[in-house]
Amino acid sequence: MLNSKVMQSSRTQALLLIGPALVVYATFAIWPMIEVVFLSFQHWNGLDPQREWVGLENYQYILTKDPVFWIALRNTITWTLLAVLFPPTIGLLLALGLNEQLFGRVPMRAIYYLPVIIAPIAVATMWKWMYDPFFGLFNQVLTNIGLQAWIKDWLGDREIALYSMFVAYTWQYVGFSMVLFLAGLQSVDRSLVEAARIDGANRWQSFKHVTLPALRVTIAIVLVLSTISSLKAFDIVYGMTGGGPAQSTQMLALWAFMQSMQIFDFGRGSAISVILLLVTLTIVVPYLRWSQRDEGASE
Amino acid sequence: MTASGTRFEDDMVLVKRRRDPFLILLWIVLVTFALVWIAPVVLIAFTALKSNAEVMATSAFAPPETVAWSNFSGAWARGNFATTFTNSAIITVIKVPLGLIFSAMAAYALARIRLKFGKLLLLFFLFGAMIPFQVMLAPIFTLVNGFGLIDTYPGVILPYLAFGVPYQVFILHGFFKAVPKELSEAALIDGASHVTVFRRIFLPISLPVLAALLILDFVSTWNEFAMALVLLQDRHMWTLPLGLMSFQGQFSTDYGQLNAAIAMTVIPAVLVYMIFQRYFVSGLTSGAVKG
Repeated sequence: MLNSKVMQSSRTQALLLIGPALVVYATFAIWPMIEVVFLSFQHWNGLDPQREWVGLENYQYILTKDPVFWIALRNTITWTLLAVLFPPTIGLLLALGLNEQLFGRVPMRAIYYLPVIIAPIAVATMWKWMYDPFFGLFNQVLTNIGLQAWIKDWLGDREIALYSMFVAYTWQYVGFSMVLFLAGLQSVDRSLVEAARIDGANRWQSFKHVTLPALRVTIAIVLVLSTISSLKAFDIVYGMTGGGPAQSTQMLALWAFMQSMQIFDFGRGSAISVILLLVTLTIVVPYLRWSQRDEGASE
Repeated sequence: MTASGTRFEDDMVLVKRRRDPFLILLWIVLVTFALVWIAPVVLIAFTALKSNAEVMATSAFAPPETVAWSNFSGAWARGNFATTFTNSAIITVIKVPLGLIFSAMAAYALARIRLKFGKLLLLFFLFGAMIPFQVMLAPIFTLVNGFGLIDTYPGVILPYLAFGVPYQVFILHGFFKAVPKELSEAALIDGASHVTVFRRIFLPISLPVLAALLILDFVSTWNEFAMALVLLQDRHMWTLPLGLMSFQGQFSTDYGQLNAAIAMTVIPAVLVYMIFQRYFVSGLTSGAVKG
Protein backbone atom coordinates (compact mmCIF):
# COMPACT_ATOMS: atom_id res chain seq x y z
CA MET A 1 0.00 0.00 0.00
CA LEU A 2 2.55 2.47 1.18
CA ASN A 3 4.86 1.21 -1.50
CA SER A 4 2.51 1.92 -4.38
CA LYS A 5 1.84 5.42 -3.05
CA VAL A 6 5.56 6.08 -2.86
CA MET A 7 5.99 4.73 -6.37
CA GLN A 8 3.25 6.97 -7.69
CA SER A 9 4.55 10.10 -6.06
CA SER A 10 8.05 9.36 -7.23
CA ARG A 11 6.71 8.97 -10.77
CA THR A 12 5.17 12.43 -10.56
CA GLN A 13 8.42 13.80 -9.22
CA ALA A 14 10.36 12.13 -11.98
CA LEU A 15 8.08 13.74 -14.55
CA LEU A 16 8.61 17.14 -12.94
CA LEU A 17 12.36 16.67 -12.95
CA ILE A 18 12.66 15.32 -16.50
CA GLY A 19 9.93 17.52 -17.97
CA PRO A 20 11.75 20.77 -18.79
CA ALA A 21 14.75 19.07 -20.42
CA LEU A 22 12.55 16.65 -22.33
CA VAL A 23 10.15 19.26 -23.69
CA VAL A 24 12.89 21.61 -24.90
CA TYR A 25 14.91 18.76 -26.35
CA ALA A 26 11.99 17.11 -28.15
CA THR A 27 10.73 20.40 -29.57
CA PHE A 28 13.93 22.07 -30.68
CA ALA A 29 16.21 19.13 -31.45
CA ILE A 30 14.08 16.11 -32.33
CA TRP A 31 11.29 17.87 -34.21
CA PRO A 32 13.65 19.60 -36.71
CA MET A 33 15.12 16.17 -37.42
CA ILE A 34 11.67 14.89 -38.37
CA GLU A 35 10.78 18.09 -40.19
CA VAL A 36 13.89 17.91 -42.36
CA VAL A 37 12.70 14.55 -43.68
CA PHE A 38 9.30 16.04 -44.61
CA LEU A 39 10.95 19.05 -46.21
CA SER A 40 13.16 16.84 -48.34
CA PHE A 41 10.05 15.51 -50.14
CA GLN A 42 8.63 18.96 -50.71
CA HIS A 43 9.18 21.98 -52.86
CA TRP A 44 9.36 25.12 -50.75
CA ASN A 45 11.13 28.47 -50.78
CA GLY A 46 10.86 29.00 -47.02
CA LEU A 47 8.19 31.73 -47.24
CA ASP A 48 5.14 30.48 -49.14
CA PRO A 49 2.29 29.29 -46.97
CA GLN A 50 1.93 26.37 -49.36
CA ARG A 51 4.39 23.50 -49.52
CA GLU A 52 4.14 21.22 -52.48
CA TRP A 53 4.81 17.49 -52.19
CA VAL A 54 7.14 16.39 -54.96
CA GLY A 55 8.11 12.87 -53.94
CA LEU A 56 11.71 11.99 -54.68
CA GLU A 57 12.32 14.88 -57.08
CA ASN A 58 14.77 16.68 -54.76
CA TYR A 59 16.86 13.56 -54.27
CA GLN A 60 16.80 12.84 -57.98
CA TYR A 61 18.03 16.36 -58.74
CA ILE A 62 20.81 16.22 -56.17
CA LEU A 63 22.07 12.81 -57.19
CA THR A 64 21.89 13.30 -60.95
CA LYS A 65 21.99 17.02 -61.80
CA ASP A 66 23.93 18.74 -59.03
CA PRO A 67 27.68 18.42 -59.62
CA VAL A 68 28.45 20.33 -56.42
CA PHE A 69 26.79 17.64 -54.31
CA TRP A 70 29.33 15.06 -55.44
CA ILE A 71 32.25 17.41 -54.82
CA ALA A 72 30.84 18.15 -51.37
CA LEU A 73 30.36 14.45 -50.66
CA ARG A 74 33.90 13.61 -51.73
CA ASN A 75 35.32 16.47 -49.67
CA THR A 76 33.28 15.44 -46.64
CA ILE A 77 34.57 11.86 -46.90
CA THR A 78 38.18 13.00 -47.35
CA TRP A 79 37.82 15.42 -44.46
CA THR A 80 36.31 12.78 -42.18
CA LEU A 81 39.04 10.25 -42.94
CA LEU A 82 41.73 12.85 -42.25
CA ALA A 83 39.94 13.97 -39.08
CA VAL A 84 39.74 10.42 -37.76
CA LEU A 85 43.36 9.72 -38.59
CA PHE A 86 45.43 12.77 -37.68
CA PRO A 87 44.07 14.66 -34.66
CA PRO A 88 43.46 11.48 -32.60
CA THR A 89 46.90 10.07 -33.44
CA ILE A 90 48.70 13.29 -32.55
CA GLY A 91 46.46 13.65 -29.50
CA LEU A 92 47.37 10.15 -28.31
CA LEU A 93 51.09 10.78 -28.76
CA LEU A 94 50.86 14.07 -26.85
CA ALA A 95 48.84 12.44 -24.08
CA LEU A 96 51.37 9.64 -23.74
CA GLY A 97 54.22 12.14 -23.57
CA LEU A 98 52.47 14.49 -21.18
CA ASN A 99 51.47 11.60 -18.94
CA GLU A 100 55.14 11.17 -18.06
CA GLN A 101 56.38 13.19 -15.09
CA LEU A 102 58.06 15.91 -17.11
CA PHE A 103 59.02 19.41 -16.13
CA GLY A 104 56.30 21.85 -17.19
CA ARG A 105 53.80 19.29 -18.34
CA VAL A 106 50.85 21.17 -16.88
CA PRO A 107 51.45 24.42 -18.80
CA MET A 108 52.19 22.33 -21.91
CA ARG A 109 48.83 20.58 -21.59
CA ALA A 110 47.20 23.99 -21.30
CA ILE A 111 48.96 25.19 -24.46
CA TYR A 112 47.80 22.23 -26.51
CA TYR A 113 44.27 22.59 -25.20
CA LEU A 114 44.07 26.37 -25.71
CA PRO A 115 42.94 26.26 -29.39
CA VAL A 116 39.96 24.08 -28.45
CA ILE A 117 38.40 26.96 -26.54
CA ILE A 118 38.95 29.52 -29.31
CA ALA A 119 35.81 30.15 -31.36
CA PRO A 120 36.06 28.20 -34.65
CA ILE A 121 35.11 31.35 -36.50
CA ALA A 122 38.05 33.14 -34.82
CA VAL A 123 40.33 30.24 -35.81
CA ALA A 124 39.10 30.62 -39.38
CA THR A 125 39.81 34.37 -39.28
CA MET A 126 43.30 33.85 -37.82
CA TRP A 127 44.33 31.20 -40.28
CA LYS A 128 42.83 32.95 -43.27
CA TRP A 129 45.07 35.86 -42.42
CA MET A 130 48.13 33.65 -41.86
CA TYR A 131 47.47 31.99 -45.23
CA ASP A 132 47.21 35.34 -47.04
CA PRO A 133 49.37 34.97 -50.18
CA PHE A 134 50.98 38.42 -49.85
CA PHE A 135 51.00 39.45 -46.20
CA GLY A 136 50.39 36.11 -44.54
CA LEU A 137 52.74 34.53 -42.02
CA PHE A 138 53.42 31.34 -43.97
CA ASN A 139 54.64 32.95 -47.15
CA GLN A 140 56.61 35.55 -45.16
CA VAL A 141 58.42 32.85 -43.20
CA LEU A 142 59.10 30.84 -46.37
CA THR A 143 60.56 33.95 -48.02
CA ASN A 144 62.71 34.69 -44.98
CA ILE A 145 64.23 31.24 -44.88
CA GLY A 146 64.85 31.23 -48.61
CA LEU A 147 62.19 28.76 -49.69
CA GLN A 148 60.40 31.06 -52.13
CA ALA A 149 59.71 28.05 -54.33
CA TRP A 150 57.33 26.71 -51.68
CA ILE A 151 55.19 29.85 -51.61
CA LYS A 152 51.59 29.08 -52.41
CA ASP A 153 48.18 30.65 -52.51
CA TRP A 154 47.16 28.37 -49.67
CA LEU A 155 43.43 28.95 -49.77
CA GLY A 156 43.15 30.11 -53.38
CA ASP A 157 44.62 27.03 -55.00
CA ARG A 158 41.91 24.45 -55.67
CA GLU A 159 44.35 21.57 -55.28
CA ILE A 160 45.45 22.39 -51.75
CA ALA A 161 42.76 24.63 -50.23
CA LEU A 162 41.00 21.72 -48.51
CA TYR A 163 44.24 20.51 -46.93
CA SER A 164 45.27 24.01 -45.85
CA MET A 165 41.94 24.25 -44.10
CA PHE A 166 42.47 20.87 -42.51
CA VAL A 167 45.76 21.99 -40.98
CA ALA A 168 43.88 24.77 -39.16
CA TYR A 169 41.28 22.23 -38.05
CA THR A 170 43.99 19.91 -36.71
CA TRP A 171 45.60 22.79 -34.84
CA GLN A 172 42.29 23.46 -33.17
CA TYR A 173 41.19 19.92 -32.25
CA VAL A 174 44.33 17.97 -31.30
CA GLY A 175 43.93 19.22 -27.73
CA PHE A 176 40.44 17.74 -27.56
CA SER A 177 41.67 14.21 -28.33
CA MET A 178 44.63 14.77 -26.02
CA VAL A 179 42.42 15.58 -23.01
CA LEU A 180 40.23 12.53 -23.57
CA PHE A 181 43.31 10.29 -23.86
CA LEU A 182 44.85 11.86 -20.74
CA ALA A 183 41.64 11.09 -18.90
CA GLY A 184 41.70 7.54 -20.23
CA LEU A 185 45.35 7.09 -19.23
CA GLN A 186 44.45 7.84 -15.60
CA SER A 187 42.63 4.51 -15.57
CA VAL A 188 45.69 2.59 -16.80
CA ASP A 189 47.22 0.81 -13.85
CA ARG A 190 50.70 2.31 -13.47
CA SER A 191 51.91 -0.64 -11.44
CA LEU A 192 51.12 -2.95 -14.37
CA VAL A 193 53.22 -0.80 -16.68
CA GLU A 194 56.05 -0.77 -14.17
CA ALA A 195 55.80 -4.52 -13.63
CA ALA A 196 56.06 -5.05 -17.37
CA ARG A 197 59.12 -2.79 -17.52
CA ILE A 198 60.77 -4.64 -14.63
CA ASP A 199 60.08 -7.92 -16.40
CA GLY A 200 62.19 -6.61 -19.25
CA ALA A 201 59.57 -5.24 -21.65
CA ASN A 202 60.80 -2.17 -23.50
CA ARG A 203 58.68 0.99 -23.79
CA TRP A 204 57.04 -0.07 -27.04
CA GLN A 205 56.18 -3.52 -25.72
CA SER A 206 54.69 -2.26 -22.50
CA PHE A 207 52.71 0.32 -24.48
CA LYS A 208 51.43 -2.29 -26.91
CA HIS A 209 50.54 -4.97 -24.38
CA VAL A 210 49.51 -2.98 -21.31
CA THR A 211 48.58 0.61 -22.10
CA LEU A 212 46.91 0.17 -25.47
CA PRO A 213 44.48 -2.59 -24.41
CA ALA A 214 43.51 -0.51 -21.36
CA LEU A 215 42.74 2.44 -23.66
CA ARG A 216 40.37 0.44 -25.86
CA VAL A 217 37.18 2.19 -24.64
CA THR A 218 38.77 5.64 -24.78
CA ILE A 219 39.97 5.04 -28.32
CA ALA A 220 36.47 4.08 -29.42
CA ILE A 221 35.02 7.20 -27.80
CA VAL A 222 37.64 9.49 -29.36
CA LEU A 223 37.17 8.00 -32.82
CA VAL A 224 33.39 8.30 -32.72
CA LEU A 225 33.51 11.86 -31.38
CA SER A 226 36.12 12.81 -34.02
CA THR A 227 33.97 11.41 -36.78
CA ILE A 228 30.89 13.26 -35.63
CA SER A 229 32.67 16.55 -35.09
CA SER A 230 34.26 16.29 -38.54
CA LEU A 231 30.83 15.84 -40.14
CA LYS A 232 29.72 19.11 -38.65
CA ALA A 233 32.65 21.10 -40.05
CA PHE A 234 30.78 24.27 -40.85
CA ASP A 235 32.16 27.35 -39.14
CA ILE A 236 35.71 26.83 -40.32
CA VAL A 237 34.71 26.31 -43.96
CA TYR A 238 32.25 29.18 -43.90
CA GLY A 239 34.83 31.50 -42.35
CA MET A 240 37.90 30.50 -44.38
CA THR A 241 36.73 29.81 -47.92
CA GLY A 242 32.93 29.82 -48.00
CA GLY A 243 33.27 26.59 -49.99
CA GLY A 244 35.48 28.15 -52.68
CA PRO A 245 37.49 28.55 -54.81
CA ALA A 246 35.07 27.19 -57.40
CA GLN A 247 33.34 24.95 -54.79
CA SER A 248 36.58 23.03 -54.30
CA THR A 249 36.21 23.08 -50.50
CA GLN A 250 32.45 22.67 -50.42
CA MET A 251 31.09 20.25 -47.80
CA LEU A 252 27.70 18.68 -47.24
CA ALA A 253 26.72 20.63 -44.10
CA LEU A 254 27.60 23.97 -45.71
CA TRP A 255 26.04 23.05 -49.05
CA ALA A 256 22.77 22.08 -47.33
CA PHE A 257 22.79 25.44 -45.57
CA MET A 258 23.49 27.36 -48.79
CA GLN A 259 20.76 25.58 -50.73
CA SER A 260 18.18 26.37 -48.06
CA MET A 261 19.18 29.71 -46.60
CA GLN A 262 20.87 31.41 -49.55
CA ILE A 263 19.28 29.89 -52.66
CA PHE A 264 15.98 29.40 -50.76
CA ASP A 265 15.44 25.89 -52.01
CA PHE A 266 14.49 24.22 -48.74
CA GLY A 267 13.60 20.97 -50.47
CA ARG A 268 17.00 20.35 -52.00
CA GLY A 269 18.82 21.66 -48.95
CA SER A 270 16.86 19.28 -46.75
CA ALA A 271 17.51 16.35 -49.05
CA ILE A 272 21.26 16.97 -48.60
CA SER A 273 20.71 17.21 -44.84
CA VAL A 274 18.87 13.89 -44.81
CA ILE A 275 21.72 12.19 -46.66
CA LEU A 276 24.23 13.60 -44.17
CA LEU A 277 21.96 12.57 -41.32
CA LEU A 278 21.83 9.01 -42.65
CA VAL A 279 25.62 8.91 -42.85
CA THR A 280 25.79 10.11 -39.24
CA LEU A 281 23.28 7.51 -38.09
CA THR A 282 25.25 4.66 -39.63
CA ILE A 283 28.09 5.66 -37.29
CA VAL A 284 26.05 6.65 -34.23
CA VAL A 285 23.60 3.77 -33.97
CA PRO A 286 26.18 0.96 -33.84
CA TYR A 287 28.15 3.00 -31.31
CA LEU A 288 25.10 3.51 -29.10
CA ARG A 289 24.30 -0.20 -29.20
CA TRP A 290 27.87 -1.05 -28.36
CA SER A 291 28.02 1.40 -25.43
CA GLN A 292 24.68 0.15 -24.08
CA ARG A 293 25.89 -3.44 -24.25
CA ASP A 294 28.96 -2.38 -22.34
CA GLU A 295 26.76 -0.68 -19.74
CA GLY A 296 24.66 -3.82 -19.33
CA ALA A 297 27.77 -5.92 -18.79
CA SER A 298 29.17 -3.67 -16.09
CA GLU A 299 25.95 -3.63 -14.05
CA MET B 1 49.29 27.05 -15.04
CA THR B 2 48.11 26.08 -11.58
CA ALA B 3 51.10 23.87 -11.30
CA SER B 4 53.28 25.26 -8.55
CA GLY B 5 52.58 22.18 -6.43
CA THR B 6 53.23 19.53 -9.01
CA ARG B 7 56.06 21.42 -10.60
CA PHE B 8 58.17 20.81 -7.53
CA GLU B 9 57.47 17.08 -7.77
CA ASP B 10 58.20 17.19 -11.49
CA ASP B 11 61.54 18.82 -10.73
CA MET B 12 62.40 16.11 -8.27
CA VAL B 13 61.53 13.37 -10.71
CA LEU B 14 63.56 15.05 -13.41
CA VAL B 15 66.53 15.12 -11.09
CA LYS B 16 66.03 11.47 -10.28
CA ARG B 17 65.72 10.43 -13.88
CA ARG B 18 68.17 12.90 -15.31
CA ARG B 19 70.06 10.17 -17.06
CA ASP B 20 67.12 8.73 -18.96
CA PRO B 21 67.89 9.96 -22.48
CA PHE B 22 64.44 8.96 -23.73
CA LEU B 23 62.70 11.35 -21.35
CA ILE B 24 65.05 14.20 -22.21
CA LEU B 25 64.45 13.69 -25.91
CA LEU B 26 60.69 13.45 -25.30
CA TRP B 27 60.77 16.68 -23.34
CA ILE B 28 62.61 18.51 -26.10
CA VAL B 29 60.14 17.28 -28.72
CA LEU B 30 57.13 18.25 -26.61
CA VAL B 31 58.48 21.72 -25.86
CA THR B 32 59.33 22.38 -29.51
CA PHE B 33 55.91 21.23 -30.56
CA ALA B 34 54.26 23.36 -27.86
CA LEU B 35 56.11 26.44 -29.14
CA VAL B 36 54.80 25.77 -32.65
CA TRP B 37 51.31 25.22 -31.24
CA ILE B 38 51.20 28.50 -29.35
CA ALA B 39 52.86 30.54 -32.14
CA PRO B 40 49.58 31.56 -33.85
CA VAL B 41 48.21 32.81 -30.51
CA VAL B 42 51.37 34.82 -29.85
CA LEU B 43 51.16 36.20 -33.36
CA ILE B 44 47.58 37.38 -32.80
CA ALA B 45 48.47 38.95 -29.44
CA PHE B 46 51.50 40.81 -30.85
CA THR B 47 49.75 42.00 -33.98
CA ALA B 48 46.75 43.19 -32.00
CA LEU B 49 49.12 45.54 -30.17
CA LYS B 50 50.94 46.92 -33.19
CA SER B 51 50.08 49.88 -35.38
CA ASN B 52 49.56 49.07 -39.05
CA ALA B 53 52.87 50.70 -39.98
CA GLU B 54 54.66 48.52 -37.46
CA VAL B 55 52.88 45.39 -38.68
CA MET B 56 54.26 46.04 -42.16
CA ALA B 57 57.74 47.04 -41.04
CA THR B 58 58.58 44.46 -38.38
CA SER B 59 58.82 40.70 -38.31
CA ALA B 60 55.65 38.85 -37.40
CA PHE B 61 57.03 37.50 -34.12
CA ALA B 62 58.71 40.68 -32.95
CA PRO B 63 57.01 42.06 -29.85
CA PRO B 64 55.35 45.45 -30.39
CA GLU B 65 57.74 48.40 -29.89
CA THR B 66 55.04 50.88 -29.04
CA VAL B 67 51.88 49.33 -27.71
CA ALA B 68 48.91 50.43 -29.80
CA TRP B 69 46.00 49.99 -27.40
CA SER B 70 43.98 52.08 -29.83
CA ASN B 71 43.47 48.95 -31.94
CA PHE B 72 41.14 47.64 -29.28
CA SER B 73 39.08 50.81 -28.92
CA GLY B 74 39.05 51.21 -32.70
CA ALA B 75 37.87 47.67 -33.36
CA TRP B 76 35.39 47.91 -30.48
CA ALA B 77 33.71 50.93 -32.08
CA ARG B 78 33.90 49.93 -35.75
CA GLY B 79 32.91 46.33 -35.13
CA ASN B 80 29.91 47.29 -33.01
CA PHE B 81 31.33 45.20 -30.18
CA ALA B 82 29.25 46.94 -27.52
CA THR B 83 26.15 45.39 -29.09
CA THR B 84 27.50 41.96 -29.99
CA PHE B 85 29.32 41.58 -26.67
CA THR B 86 26.15 42.40 -24.72
CA ASN B 87 24.08 39.96 -26.80
CA SER B 88 26.62 37.17 -26.33
CA ALA B 89 26.79 37.87 -22.59
CA ILE B 90 23.00 37.88 -22.13
CA ILE B 91 22.51 34.68 -24.12
CA THR B 92 25.35 32.84 -22.37
CA VAL B 93 24.46 33.98 -18.85
CA ILE B 94 20.87 32.77 -19.26
CA LYS B 95 21.53 29.63 -21.28
CA VAL B 96 24.39 28.04 -19.38
CA PRO B 97 22.95 27.89 -15.82
CA LEU B 98 19.45 27.07 -17.08
CA GLY B 99 20.77 24.23 -19.22
CA LEU B 100 22.84 22.80 -16.37
CA ILE B 101 19.83 22.85 -14.01
CA PHE B 102 17.53 21.19 -16.55
CA SER B 103 20.15 18.55 -17.32
CA ALA B 104 20.97 17.84 -13.69
CA MET B 105 17.29 17.44 -12.81
CA ALA B 106 16.66 15.06 -15.67
CA ALA B 107 19.87 13.12 -15.04
CA TYR B 108 18.99 12.66 -11.36
CA ALA B 109 15.54 11.32 -12.15
CA LEU B 110 16.88 8.97 -14.81
CA ALA B 111 19.64 7.66 -12.56
CA ARG B 112 17.87 7.53 -9.21
CA ILE B 113 14.14 6.97 -9.73
CA ARG B 114 12.93 3.61 -11.03
CA LEU B 115 10.97 4.32 -14.18
CA LYS B 116 9.38 1.97 -16.65
CA PHE B 117 10.85 3.76 -19.64
CA GLY B 118 13.90 5.13 -17.90
CA LYS B 119 16.42 3.30 -19.99
CA LEU B 120 14.63 4.19 -23.20
CA LEU B 121 14.46 7.85 -22.20
CA LEU B 122 18.16 7.89 -21.47
CA LEU B 123 18.88 6.41 -24.87
CA PHE B 124 16.60 9.01 -26.42
CA PHE B 125 18.65 11.79 -24.81
CA LEU B 126 21.95 10.14 -25.66
CA PHE B 127 20.93 9.97 -29.30
CA GLY B 128 20.73 13.78 -29.42
CA ALA B 129 24.30 14.15 -28.18
CA MET B 130 25.49 12.39 -31.32
CA ILE B 131 23.51 14.33 -33.93
CA PRO B 132 25.22 17.42 -35.32
CA PHE B 133 22.75 20.31 -35.47
CA GLN B 134 24.76 21.85 -38.32
CA VAL B 135 22.93 19.31 -40.47
CA MET B 136 19.53 20.76 -39.65
CA LEU B 137 19.94 24.53 -39.81
CA ALA B 138 17.04 25.04 -42.23
CA PRO B 139 14.37 23.16 -40.23
CA ILE B 140 15.59 24.86 -37.03
CA PHE B 141 15.08 28.18 -38.78
CA THR B 142 11.62 27.10 -39.96
CA LEU B 143 10.62 26.02 -36.45
CA VAL B 144 11.87 29.15 -34.68
CA ASN B 145 10.30 31.27 -37.40
CA GLY B 146 7.01 29.44 -36.83
CA PHE B 147 7.11 30.54 -33.18
CA GLY B 148 7.85 34.11 -34.33
CA LEU B 149 11.14 34.07 -32.43
CA ILE B 150 13.67 34.98 -35.14
CA ASP B 151 15.91 37.83 -33.89
CA THR B 152 14.97 37.30 -30.23
CA TYR B 153 16.94 35.95 -27.26
CA PRO B 154 14.53 33.06 -26.58
CA GLY B 155 14.78 32.18 -30.28
CA VAL B 156 18.44 31.19 -29.87
CA ILE B 157 18.41 30.17 -26.22
CA LEU B 158 15.77 27.46 -26.70
CA PRO B 159 17.60 25.62 -29.53
CA TYR B 160 20.90 26.07 -27.65
CA LEU B 161 19.30 24.42 -24.60
CA ALA B 162 17.92 21.60 -26.73
CA PHE B 163 21.29 20.75 -28.22
CA GLY B 164 23.22 21.23 -24.96
CA VAL B 165 21.01 19.05 -22.76
CA PRO B 166 21.79 15.57 -24.21
CA TYR B 167 25.52 15.54 -23.55
CA GLN B 168 25.11 17.01 -20.07
CA VAL B 169 22.41 14.48 -19.17
CA PHE B 170 24.72 11.72 -20.34
CA ILE B 171 27.68 12.85 -18.23
CA LEU B 172 25.64 13.69 -15.12
CA HIS B 173 23.69 10.44 -15.37
CA GLY B 174 26.97 8.52 -15.26
CA PHE B 175 28.04 10.51 -12.22
CA PHE B 176 24.76 10.20 -10.29
CA LYS B 177 24.56 6.51 -11.04
CA ALA B 178 27.91 5.97 -9.31
CA VAL B 179 26.88 7.72 -6.09
CA PRO B 180 26.48 5.09 -3.31
CA LYS B 181 22.86 4.22 -2.43
CA GLU B 182 23.36 4.85 1.30
CA LEU B 183 23.73 8.54 0.67
CA SER B 184 20.18 9.05 -0.53
CA GLU B 185 18.28 6.09 0.92
CA ALA B 186 18.30 7.27 4.51
CA ALA B 187 16.84 10.61 3.54
CA LEU B 188 14.20 9.02 1.32
CA ILE B 189 13.12 6.63 4.08
CA ASP B 190 12.82 9.59 6.44
CA GLY B 191 10.22 10.95 4.05
CA ALA B 192 12.25 13.47 2.08
CA SER B 193 11.06 13.95 -1.49
CA HIS B 194 13.25 13.27 -4.49
CA VAL B 195 13.31 16.97 -5.21
CA THR B 196 14.77 17.60 -1.76
CA VAL B 197 17.31 14.78 -2.07
CA PHE B 198 18.35 16.14 -5.42
CA ARG B 199 18.73 19.69 -4.14
CA ARG B 200 20.30 18.95 -0.77
CA ILE B 201 22.49 15.94 -1.52
CA PHE B 202 23.13 15.39 -5.22
CA LEU B 203 23.51 18.97 -6.39
CA PRO B 204 26.23 19.81 -3.82
CA ILE B 205 28.30 16.68 -4.46
CA SER B 206 28.15 17.13 -8.23
CA LEU B 207 29.71 20.60 -8.14
CA PRO B 208 33.06 19.49 -9.67
CA VAL B 209 31.26 17.82 -12.59
CA LEU B 210 28.98 20.81 -12.97
CA ALA B 211 32.06 23.07 -13.07
CA ALA B 212 33.58 20.98 -15.86
CA LEU B 213 30.33 21.05 -17.80
CA LEU B 214 30.05 24.76 -17.17
CA ILE B 215 33.38 25.36 -18.92
CA LEU B 216 32.43 23.23 -21.88
CA ASP B 217 29.01 24.79 -22.17
CA PHE B 218 30.18 28.35 -21.66
CA VAL B 219 32.82 27.93 -24.33
CA SER B 220 30.52 26.28 -26.86
CA THR B 221 27.69 28.76 -26.27
CA TRP B 222 30.01 31.75 -26.44
CA ASN B 223 31.60 30.46 -29.65
CA GLU B 224 28.49 29.16 -31.41
CA PHE B 225 28.25 30.47 -34.95
CA ALA B 226 26.14 28.37 -37.34
CA MET B 227 22.83 28.52 -35.49
CA ALA B 228 23.25 32.20 -34.64
CA LEU B 229 23.90 32.87 -38.32
CA VAL B 230 20.53 31.41 -39.21
CA LEU B 231 18.47 32.65 -36.26
CA LEU B 232 19.85 36.16 -35.74
CA GLN B 233 19.56 38.16 -38.93
CA ASP B 234 19.15 41.67 -37.51
CA ARG B 235 22.62 43.04 -36.77
CA HIS B 236 21.40 44.54 -33.48
CA MET B 237 20.84 40.97 -32.28
CA TRP B 238 24.17 39.57 -33.51
CA THR B 239 26.50 37.71 -31.18
CA LEU B 240 30.29 38.11 -31.08
CA PRO B 241 31.13 35.41 -33.66
CA LEU B 242 28.73 36.97 -36.17
CA GLY B 243 30.22 40.38 -35.47
CA LEU B 244 33.75 39.05 -35.97
CA MET B 245 32.79 37.44 -39.27
CA SER B 246 31.36 40.70 -40.53
CA PHE B 247 34.37 42.66 -39.24
CA GLN B 248 36.67 40.33 -41.13
CA GLY B 249 34.71 40.99 -44.31
CA GLN B 250 34.85 44.76 -44.00
CA PHE B 251 38.20 45.60 -42.42
CA SER B 252 40.37 42.64 -43.31
CA THR B 253 43.32 44.86 -44.29
CA ASP B 254 43.44 46.68 -40.96
CA TYR B 255 45.55 43.95 -39.38
CA GLY B 256 46.00 45.52 -35.97
CA GLN B 257 42.30 46.04 -35.44
CA LEU B 258 41.37 42.69 -36.97
CA ASN B 259 43.60 40.90 -34.49
CA ALA B 260 42.30 43.03 -31.65
CA ALA B 261 38.80 41.95 -32.68
CA ILE B 262 39.86 38.29 -32.64
CA ALA B 263 41.43 38.76 -29.20
CA MET B 264 38.33 40.40 -27.76
CA THR B 265 36.16 37.56 -29.04
CA VAL B 266 38.42 34.89 -27.58
CA ILE B 267 39.47 36.37 -24.22
CA PRO B 268 36.24 35.82 -22.22
CA ALA B 269 36.17 32.10 -23.05
CA VAL B 270 39.86 31.76 -22.16
CA LEU B 271 39.30 33.54 -18.83
CA VAL B 272 36.41 31.24 -17.88
CA TYR B 273 38.51 28.24 -18.85
CA MET B 274 41.42 29.41 -16.71
CA ILE B 275 39.21 30.08 -13.68
CA PHE B 276 37.51 26.68 -13.77
CA GLN B 277 40.19 24.55 -15.37
CA ARG B 278 41.32 22.78 -12.22
CA TYR B 279 37.97 21.00 -12.18
CA PHE B 280 38.18 20.23 -15.83
CA VAL B 281 39.97 16.91 -16.27
CA SER B 282 38.93 15.46 -12.91
CA GLY B 283 35.30 16.42 -13.44
CA LEU B 284 35.15 14.95 -16.90
CA THR B 285 36.79 11.69 -16.02
CA SER B 286 34.28 10.97 -13.28
CA GLY B 287 31.56 10.39 -15.83
CA ALA B 288 32.76 10.55 -19.39
CA VAL B 289 35.35 7.87 -19.73
CA LYS B 290 34.63 4.63 -18.05
CA GLY B 291 36.87 1.67 -17.98
